[in-house]
Amino acid sequence: MTANDDLVTQIRQALKVVIDPELGHNIVDLGFVYDVSVDDGVAHITMTATTRGCPAASFLKEGVANSACLVPGVESVDVTMTFDPPWQPWMISPGVKASLGFAEVN
Amino acid sequence: MIGTSLCKWAISYFAAAIVWLLLAEVLMVAGFGFPNDDIGGPDTLVIVHMVCIGWLSMVVCGALFQFVPVLVARPLYAERWTLPALALLTLGLTILLAGFLALGGHINGPRWLLPVGAGLLIAGFVLVVANLGMTLWLARPLPGPARFAAVGLACICVTAAFGGMFSLVLSGAAVAARWPELLVSGVPIHAIAGLGGWLTFTAMGVSYRLLAMFMLAPDSDARLGRLAWLAGAAALAVGVVGGVLALWRATGLNLVLLVAGAAALLSLIAYGHDVLGLYRTRKRRALELNTRMSILSLASLAAVAILGAALLATGSFQPHVGALVFLVAFGWLTGLVLANLYKIVPFLTWLEAYGPVMGRVPTPRVQDLVAERRATKWFVLFFAGSWAATLMLLVDAALGFRVALAVVTLATLGLGEELIRARRLADVAEPLRLPTGAAVPHLLISRN
Repeated sequence: MTANDDLVTQIRQALKVVIDPELGHNIVDLGFVYDVSVDDGVAHITMTATTRGCPAASFLKEGVANSACLVPGVESVDVTMTFDPPWQPWMISPGVKASLGFAEVN
Repeated sequence: MIGTSLCKWAISYFAAAIVWLLLAEVLMVAGFGFPNDDIGGPDTLVIVHMVCIGWLSMVVCGALFQFVPVLVARPLYAERWTLPALALLTLGLTILLAGFLALGGHINGPRWLLPVGAGLLIAGFVLVVANLGMTLWLARPLPGPARFAAVGLACICVTAAFGGMFSLVLSGAAVAARWPELLVSGVPIHAIAGLGGWLTFTAMGVSYRLLAMFMLAPDSDARLGRLAWLAGAAALAVGVVGGVLALWRATGLNLVLLVAGAAALLSLIAYGHDVLGLYRTRKRRALELNTRMSILSLASLAAVAILGAALLATGSFQPHVGALVFLVAFGWLTGLVLANLYKIVPFLTWLEAYGPVMGRVPTPRVQDLVAERRATKWFVLFFAGSWAATLMLLVDAALGFRVALAVVTLATLGLGEELIRARRLADVAEPLRLPTGAAVPHLLISRN
């Protein structure tokens, strides 16, 4: 594992403090974080939200920037919010799916 | 556009609405208005307008100010118009009710109270419709749920226009002497446009999106809601336009109401089919209290359709129209609104309190702001009371209706307290309740 990979892992872990308030789970396990990369101490994060117009979306974006900033080695954060591809429930991690009561047939 | 901001006054609309609902319920428990008084009498008009304008319209306006921007992913056209609209609606309704009380001989008041109250209400609704209408206009082409809201906005214009004319007739204004039949024949159009178009059709549209969001149900199919919208819009167009033409030509409303009723039934069946489909295909199997209680309000809507058809088929619609309207206003609309307020108020409160500190500190979930087990009993009492009250009206048991309404009032008080507790973050366990940087929101206004 390179130093950058290690930093990406730490950032992903740090992002878990950010939750989707309605679903009640962290955005990493919900599959909102599409990509994390680090380039010369600058963290580039691509993320999404459930609904484009949701009033929580801007708070989620700020929350991601705030939490990534706290990771040692990250000098600045660049967050991109995208709806392409749109978020789909299958992106949720298996553990969270179970706690949300996902049916196996679906 | 990504994200929309909180509407500063949406919570104020909700609070004012709940106060009006409680006032109306207390008056009904005290035996004021129908069924002790004539269904078209001034006392009943006080109750009807408290519920339909003070409670339902206020709460729908507040919800639309917050939710239409979410539906179309655009900001509200003019946030600054929302407070003047609230003031106009509140003042207008107060004066209108004073006019009805004067008409009923409860207070001494001049006849012009009715048209002045109605004029202020119309001004308030003009601000609401212009604001939401421009928001929708700038977002064309509209997604399905927003098209329901657009029809609802057209219908409140018709409702308000008829209400304004009624106020002139009831005040004895000279200009209204030319419309002697208006009060008799225009009331069905006023009620269809208001309860059917503005309140029910808007609620149907918004519920498509809310149910899909809360249950993680797929709603991207463009055909979803299309038949319900087409049939409903046709029903309203026939009921309103045909009704106005029938009034003008003095041909009677029977044919218009029959055609509109058939189209409305088709719309409700299509809506029921769509909603069942959303429930069936939902990913989130464990439903929260707001969604479970929405099911009970939808059951009330189904009961409205069945009861209405049965009353028409047996020729007993006219003597039982009060029971049917009560079931629409309480079992369906009030039930749906209370169920959704139980989610919307904690959600908006969460955004205010914890949105700004997200990412810096651990935050609670929206679910941590409420105590579902405690609130469940209030919802059960509310629906049981509403259904019992409808039954009492059907069997002409006035005292039984008041007892059932007392249960509904108690449940409303309980749910009101639950919403205040959510606003106060009273049920959030320490140490998550107030992390550094978070603050308890104001009870009646949002910081945006």
